Amino acid sequence: MPESEEGLVLEAVTAGYGIAPVVHEVSLEVARGAITGLIGPNGSGKTTLVRVASRGLAPRSGSVRVCGLDPYAIPAKQASRLLAVVPQDLAPAFSYSVLEMVMMGRSPYLSAWGGSGPEDWAQVRRAMAACNVQHLADRSLTDLSGGERQRVILAQALAQDAPVLLLDEPTTHLDLRHIVEALSLVRAMVREQGRAVLAIFHDLNLAAAYCDRLVALDRGRVVASGPPGAVVTRDLVRDVFGVEAEVSPAGSAGRPSVVVAPPVGLDRQPGARRAHVVGGAGRGAAVMRLLAERGFEVTVGVLHAGDTDDVVAERLNFQRVTVPPFSDIDARSAEECRALIGEASVLVVCDPPVGPGNLVNLRLSLDAARAGTRTVLLDQILMEERDFTRGEATGLWRALREVALVASNIEEVDQLVRAEQPTR
Amino acid sequence: MSPRGRRLVGPGLVVLLVTSTLVAVAAGAVWISPWTSMQLFAWKLHLTGPPAGVLHSTSVILFQLRLPRVLLAAVVGAALATAGAVFQALFRNPMADPAIIGVSSGAALGAIVVILAGWGAALGGMGVSGAAFVGALATAFLVYRLARLGPSVQVATLLLAGIAVAAIISAAISLVMTFSGQEIRSIYFWLLGGLGARGWQSLAAVTPFVVGGMAVALLAARDLNLAALGEERAAQLGLEVDRFKVLMLATGALLTAAAVSVAGLIGFVGLMTPHILRLVVGSDHRRLVPASILGGAVFMILADLAARTLVRPEEIPVGAVTAVLGGPFFLYLLRRERRIAGAGV
Repeated sequence: MPESEEGLVLEAVTAGYGIAPVVHEVSLEVARGAITGLIGPNGSGKTTLVRVASRGLAPRSGSVRVCGLDPYAIPAKQASRLLAVVPQDLAPAFSYSVLEMVMMGRSPYLSAWGGSGPEDWAQVRRAMAACNVQHLADRSLTDLSGGERQRVILAQALAQDAPVLLLDEPTTHLDLRHIVEALSLVRAMVREQGRAVLAIFHDLNLAAAYCDRLVALDRGRVVASGPPGAVVTRDLVRDVFGVEAEVSPAGSAGRPSVVVAPPVGLDRQPGARRAHVVGGAGRGAAVMRLLAERGFEVTVGVLHAGDTDDVVAERLNFQRVTVPPFSDIDARSAEECRALIGEASVLVVCDPPVGPGNLVNLRLSLDAARAGTRTVLLDQILMEERDFTRGEATGLWRALREVALVASNIEEVDQLVRAEQPTR
Repeated sequence: MSPRGRRLVGPGLVVLLVTSTLVAVAAGAVWISPWTSMQLFAWKLHLTGPPAGVLHSTSVILFQLRLPRVLLAAVVGAALATAGAVFQALFRNPMADPAIIGVSSGAALGAIVVILAGWGAALGGMGVSGAAFVGALATAFLVYRLARLGPSVQVATLLLAGIAVAAIISAAISLVMTFSGQEIRSIYFWLLGGLGARGWQSLAAVTPFVVGGMAVALLAARDLNLAALGEERAAQLGLEVDRFKVLMLATGALLTAAAVSVAGLIGFVGLMTPHILRLVVGSDHRRLVPASILGGAVFMILADLAARTLVRPEEIPVGAVTAVLGGPFFLYLLRRERRIAGAGV
């Protein structure tokens, strides 16, 4: 490997195919010992940038340097010893064995006359072992699954033994386990051998989880770059990808995760019947999803902020009443919740642990049930086992059972809720 | 085929080449036993004295008629098969054949013009071959120039330009033949391809081109593997794609031009030989190119043997033989391969 400390540097690169350039004045640096992720919607110029960097499309203006050298000014062989590309897929015209494919990665080091030497075999073996394809050596590429093929392609690029590696959506055909394996392998190489990696990602969560730096492209321009936490933000996801999503945790230090708001919250019809869920501790999550799928406009409360049910409700974009963690339900929140329950055509009371902090929920439920609101109890966990109020909660639950419909599991809740539907 | 089995293919093809050469020089109107031919070869190579009890006429038949013809068949077959292997990799298409960039029709037009003009006897009897060679290379160059848009040539454009130019030339040939009168038989025979009565002169004329072309193809074998992955990937793996394309097009065109200039249009050898051998030795061109050279030679020797012995004393056009022999065998292999692949073995 060359000694240059520089990885890949693009300076004010403008490039494209037809009359209008695809990327405009893009500058980015891919440092040694780090993974730089390239994110952006389709057509934002990610693949074009990879092509420019890999000597496949000379920029109209600006400069490209790989390990300090202009790849367009050196022979192809020399350039391919400095920079290797992992394409999304390969479709050879003929059927090659896996070993033959990986050995092709050594082409930059071989002359027309000479055969493969011990160093070539060693590199090929290493690359095949790293990508876990050595047992496939004699198999034909065409007989492999998509995931196996992609690992062979990665092995071919690794056999190139280049200090700079460009990955064009390396995880497209991989299942979850192989995604983790492949990216962990790339990260280990980066850390241990000081390689520079530029990777295109479509999955923002993977990009944030594995990259040290991210560069976001939109319509051919860099719109954000920096550590994942500073790039993957709610605003960026909305402005660049045009999608509303929850990004947590916010802030530049962490590796954020992105949860796209599911469509249930968005295409809820006006005038839909409402359902209120009394949950907590995750006992309400399944019921909330069920009701949303059945077309109800769902409200939730009272919950402690940060409770599992609260997080789920937030992601599903439900109206909810919350109080701070570990605090008792105050009178104002209770009244707010009572108002929500009053507007609901059905009330589902789940079976979370009940303590002094959320006992109010059962009182509100009992009031509503006695007042005639159709009430369904999810009575899966015995009340006595989740009563932390020395019997008060159990008493309320017994009273509730007398006036409400009782379901012993989620399917029964579904039936009871649906049975109610045609009547309205 | 297993890697161990593949290793036996090379020696096997060499044995096959020697055997088919001996059989081909033996068979004909006069039978010359392989033992007699080997004695005569040894004598010609100054290894032994003149063999006893062998007629002078036998020696003349062997050295003036049979041997040059068999060797020419070998050279033509090797050239076409090598060109086929090169074009199939370059065009990433197993259906590509040496005629793909219009070389064959160009050669035919050159030959026909010279036959009709009555210049066939020029260049010491090599007038037709010379014109075919020039016609072939000129057409290849024309197709390349037509397909070239901007700095590099797109393979798909080249393919289409080749087909279009070949169609135009074929139309021109048909037109010329309509007005050709009594020369039509010799034109027709040339178009069908044949190796009759060419002699040492033809062999000496084309062998340098063919050997040169084969040498380039052998040296390019590793790069042909890269080309089969597609241009972009080949470039990423260190191949100077544009330069390589020009070199390979020139090599394939030269090999094909050399073959058709002396043997006329012989189909199926260039298309089929690499394809069949790929099923046997795999797709790695470091095995496929040498195997195609040997296999093309063997196939052509046997096809020419059949052409001149099956309906003696008449001769069948060798192009018809290659198609009749090759077609069914090719289909058999194709179906067998698909069946194995289909069974998931």
